[in-house]
Amino acid sequence: MNIFIPLFLGVAIGYLFKERLRMNLDKPLSAILLLLIFFMGVEAGRVEIDAASILIISITFAALTITGSLAFSLLLGGRR
Amino acid sequence: MKFLYFVLGALLSGIMVGRYTSLNSGNLSALMLYLLIFIIGMDIGRSKGLREEIKKLGRISLLLPISTILGSLLGGGLASFLVGTPMKLGLAISAGFGWYSLTGPLLAQYSPLYGVIGFLANLTREIFTIIFYPVVIKKIPKELAVSMGGATTMDSTLPILVKFGGTEITIIAFIHGFILTALAPFLIPLIMQL
Repeated sequence: MNIFIPLFLGVAIGYLFKERLRMNLDKPLSAILLLLIFFMGVEAGRVEIDAASILIISITFAALTITGSLAFSLLLGGRR
Repeated sequence: MKFLYFVLGALLSGIMVGRYTSLNSGNLSALMLYLLIFIIGMDIGRSKGLREEIKKLGRISLLLPISTILGSLLGGGLASFLVGTPMKLGLAISAGFGWYSLTGPLLAQYSPLYGVIGFLANLTREIFTIIFYPVVIKKIPKELAVSMGGATTMDSTLPILVKFGGTEITIIAFIHGFILTALAPFLIPLIMQL
């Protein structure tokens, strides 16, 4: 749960220095996001896939779990 | 929309570099992720009316993870029926909710092939969220579309959700991801032991 450390640190700094931190965070956020996605791509690209069938199975699972989640969120959440 | 092309470009060029070069990015992606989470945290901390925002979320913060669990399991069941994998495996893969680094090793205990499928299916879910969230929110309310990211909405896909959905999406995405992250390590072995 290392993710909590930078998150809470960021919240604390943001809260304590609310008045001083008025700069636009959109550009640094975008730049770091692109770097993160690039490095995630590098990691994904290093995974050797021998069988196309495994890739097809994976894509089917990903597509249907996402579709199912979206359908249920609309069904349950849409009735708020 | 223009930024989405940059996202796709970064992802594809990363995959090509990973596939055809011996570049070892080490912990750089983790470092970038922590830096992003820090900036997002800072943005939350300096924003006004945060308490009101959490109060406003109310029921949806619980309904959304429940929707994701039910929808993922149903989708996984349907996928296993379509591709011919055992139902138990299909449900276990979908119970990873995109957390590939957990699902892969957990399923590899039963079979290396199960591990590979569990890893790739959940990695693909994460990649699809990165690519399609900006497109999906044109048709579906952005807070409901968070469900597509599963457990990853508290970390790796959080920046893309915030970038396209706005800062107001941060809390709901984090709570959603947190609940699913807490459940996945219990749910996967539980399903495999059925």
